[in-house]
Amino acid sequence: MPCIWQHHGEPLRADIPALYIHLPFCFHKCHYCDFYSIVDRDSQRHAALVDRILDELAYYRNRSDLPDWRPRTIFVGGGTPTFLEAGELTRLLRGLAMGHASSGPFEEFTVEANPETLTDNIAELLVECGVNRISIGAQSFQPELLKTLERWHEPSSVRRAVKIARAAGITNINLDLIFGIPGQTHRQLEDDLDRILDPELSPTHLSCYSLTYEPNTAMMRRLELGQFKPLDNHTVADFYATVRQRLADAGLKQYEISNWCKPGYHCRHNLAYWTNLNWLGLGPSASSHINGQRWKNVPQLGRYLASSGCPPRIDIEHLPSVARIGERLMLGLRLIDGMPQSIVDSLLNEDASRRSTFDHLIEIGMIERKQGHYRLSEKALFISDTVLAELV
Amino acid sequence: MNIRNFCIIAHIDHGKSTLADRMLQCTGAISERDMRNQVLDAMDLERERGITIKASAVSVNYVHSSTKDKFELNFIDTPGHVDFHYEVSRALTACEGAVLVVDATQGVEAQTVANAYMAVEAGLELIPVVNKIDLPSAQPEAVAMEIEQVLGIDAQECIYCSAKTGQGIPELLDAICDRLPPPRGKADALTQALIFDSEYDDYRGVIIYTRIVNGKLKAGDRIRMMGAGRSWQIGEMGKFTPQMTPFKEPLEAGEVGYLVASIKSLEEVNIGDTITLDAHPAAEPLAGYREPQRMVFCDFYPAGETQFETLRDAIERLRLNDASFTFQPHHSEALGFGFRCGFLGMLHMDIIQERLERESKVNLVQTAPTVTFEVLLNTNEVIQITNPADLPDLSRVREIREPIVKVEIITPTENIGDLMKLCDNRRGVYKSQQFLSESRQILDYELPLSEIIYDFYDKLKSITRGYGTMDYSMIGFRTDKLAKMDILVNGMPVDALSVIVHRDKAPTRGRALLAKLKKEIDPHMFEIPLQAAIGGKVIARENIRAMRKNVTAKCYGGDVTRKRKLLEKQKEGKRRMKRIGTVDIPQEAFMAVLDFGE
Ligand SMILES: Nc1nc2c(ncn2[C@@H]2O[C@H](COP(=O)(O)OP(=O)(O)OP(=O)(O)O)[C@@H](O)[C@H]2O)c(=O)[nH]1
Ligand code: SF4
Ligand SMILES: [Mg+2]
Repeated sequence: MPCIWQHHGEPLRADIPALYIHLPFCFHKCHYCDFYSIVDRDSQRHAALVDRILDELAYYRNRSDLPDWRPRTIFVGGGTPTFLEAGELTRLLRGLAMGHASSGPFEEFTVEANPETLTDNIAELLVECGVNRISIGAQSFQPELLKTLERWHEPSSVRRAVKIARAAGITNINLDLIFGIPGQTHRQLEDDLDRILDPELSPTHLSCYSLTYEPNTAMMRRLELGQFKPLDNHTVADFYATVRQRLADAGLKQYEISNWCKPGYHCRHNLAYWTNLNWLGLGPSASSHINGQRWKNVPQLGRYLASSGCPPRIDIEHLPSVARIGERLMLGLRLIDGMPQSIVDSLLNEDASRRSTFDHLIEIGMIERKQGHYRLSEKALFISDTVLAELV
Repeated sequence: MNIRNFCIIAHIDHGKSTLADRMLQCTGAISERDMRNQVLDAMDLERERGITIKASAVSVNYVHSSTKDKFELNFIDTPGHVDFHYEVSRALTACEGAVLVVDATQGVEAQTVANAYMAVEAGLELIPVVNKIDLPSAQPEAVAMEIEQVLGIDAQECIYCSAKTGQGIPELLDAICDRLPPPRGKADALTQALIFDSEYDDYRGVIIYTRIVNGKLKAGDRIRMMGAGRSWQIGEMGKFTPQMTPFKEPLEAGEVGYLVASIKSLEEVNIGDTITLDAHPAAEPLAGYREPQRMVFCDFYPAGETQFETLRDAIERLRLNDASFTFQPHHSEALGFGFRCGFLGMLHMDIIQERLERESKVNLVQTAPTVTFEVLLNTNEVIQITNPADLPDLSRVREIREPIVKVEIITPTENIGDLMKLCDNRRGVYKSQQFLSESRQILDYELPLSEIIYDFYDKLKSITRGYGTMDYSMIGFRTDKLAKMDILVNGMPVDALSVIVHRDKAPTRGRALLAKLKKEIDPHMFEIPLQAAIGGKVIARENIRAMRKNVTAKCYGGDVTRKRKLLEKQKEGKRRMKRIGTVDIPQEAFMAVLDFGE
């Protein structure tokens, strides 16, 4: 596998390798979810959203300072993209492909799918539109844990969805798994892992996150009300160790704190985030990053739809260069192989105080040097937020 | 004109300020509309905590209900809490009489006794008042008997009243006119006026509270401070009615008021100094005050965003208003530059800390309070240290002496045994025991101050289910088997955590201290050994295990800004912490020293 840092320098002005689309509709709000998602079955709004996203795309296509860009990866997330009415989804995906003059397949074209909503028909449509990767939110195979999360799907539907995708010709499949759910036992975790590693599923890519209690979620509220007891950190640490061990044994390589893949199948789109490349995000609440400038579209469907051209934005930031150094380290060190020493050194040469923090982290064994890269040590992976917080 | 000067003294919460309210109302000094509870407690902190911190003076006019003679009554409402005894003692010297208030439901308590004795020693006439007789649980006659028993004042002299309903207030006012002596000074003598308090006003500078003892003073007079030797011109002079009201005519011997003389700093004014006329000075100053004694010391260090300079400005500004605490710059190996401050007691310390943080918006790290130690060196030189870290090398030390206080506890008889056990545990020396009534006793002990400043009072309260009270006063220094215990965090001695302890108690204290530190210091990315040592010998140890897992670690959808802000916030959680070496120590940990391990 070539070094994923090969396009590491500051990206070209017009080089936008990644495009993200946010479709906020879901048929139910899961309790842990802090994405911008809304329950809305109004097909007119679905159509209006597709129109508006294509309009936003056109706005960027027509900007003279972004001549002739073409993403290498597209990621359609949400929300539940497959919850969109099939005709509208096709119209959107076609529009995305056509929006880019020189057509031909994208290096990676992912659509997120809910296990329940993926049908043969939709899978075929996806393939027709050029989609070559699918990401399915499995989260857990234990009915009672899914219930705790208020995640509404039958465990068996995951297997069905994977089958459907494969039959339609999509072989690059990601599954999402959540561990550290209140009440989860070690056996239940092992069972989840057994099922996910079952040859019939055998995904090319896995995202395994420990459950995070995000502010303003139902899960957090229930936690505050004492409706359940969260797992203690030591149990969660044990779970993480188990996940790492089992996945490694199964030949999956961990390439980021929470991501694993079969050789060559790392998610190119997400790598754009971690290696600080440019990307554009379309749709309500989508974030973008172009040459050090970051912003986020308004996370309100109504306001987004009511606008035209460039949508209202929030969190517009152009960080001073010192803060950007912290950000690049925060992102790059999420990768298991770390960051090339040359990049880190050139970043830290401009920032003596961060350099001393970095040296301290090396001294206490949180960061190590391996094969010309700086990376988090094994211990540090378990407390990455604390380690990375030192560097932001 | 007939003048009566008196102060209102009592145990805390027995109703002094409320009684003052009724007197203001009854004499028409405050209209119904402006009346609010404890109107003299003007400071925010006083109102929030419901206690008086600073004494305040008032002048009212009263017509005797039977003789119809006119009187000017000058009175001072004083604080009841033990930390503020010195406020009371200053107020006493400005008066000829004192109204001693006793709660009819509580009876005589520790500060009742302490304050009454202070007043008697100052030569004041006492009027005992049994207050709160409106309450169903009031036992006025029994309380009057207690007053007779303990203070030797005839129970028949007691005036019964309710500061809540106003019952008995006219009788009290008449008694004040009848029983208290008029001021002794002469209006035609050379001027002597006592400075008994001062405050600082942003616009007018220092405002001096004064009692004219002899002679007269008026606006425009050129005055001289006899102690400080400087002279000033009075810009404004007046009385507290209760708000400051300028008077054109002179204030004469016996009267109480304020004056303003474009004095820019409280440092220029010594409480207890005598004011005289520059042109016709008195021969002698009045007997002044002793400096109040600072009982406890602690350090304040800037924390978080706060800088040393910001903290210094804040302390200096507060000091303009309150000269009762001391401060001097101090450097700690572990904590950097800060201030060593001295206080009258723990409540006073809390109040100063809260006022600093609130009024100046600074972030503080405060070290645990300690007492002053006297150290006898081999050279026979005696030095005082207010910080265990300042203890000289033991090879130079012959003796360490600690402050001893006389403690007077008033308690229900049934708790005597448990209280004696507590005092013995705290190295107390039993002195005496005295009956107050059938069911209550007065217990006298001598105890090291360091053993009582922190949690002793709480223990007393819990043993006596709230009924016990205590008072204490310094009696001197005494030597004992004392040693400095050093605390090492991650191998580094933290001077701000070292503590002077009794050798026999060191292992217990050491273990308790480390256990508390372990609880307060969050796990770090690495393991942190904790040790307590005396003279290089480790007497207790603990370990804070390295952090193993914190909830990770998503970074979805490229919302990098949000992730960064989250991590920044996580870092900001350490605002009130101090980084020592590579360990972040929270404010609470510095209080670990106070854990006695009982
Ligand atoms: N029922 C009743 N309550 C009273 C009476 N006098 C005072 N209180 C209440 O007792 C409490 C304490 O009153 P304060 O006037 O603040 O007492 P204090 O002696 O000034 O207290 P410190 O200044 O803190 O020493 C308040 O809640 C008053 O309302 C009274 O005569 N009857
Ligand atoms: S399906 Fe996904 S986006 Fe929708 S509510 Fe559940 S977790 Fe959130
Ligand atoms: Mg009061």
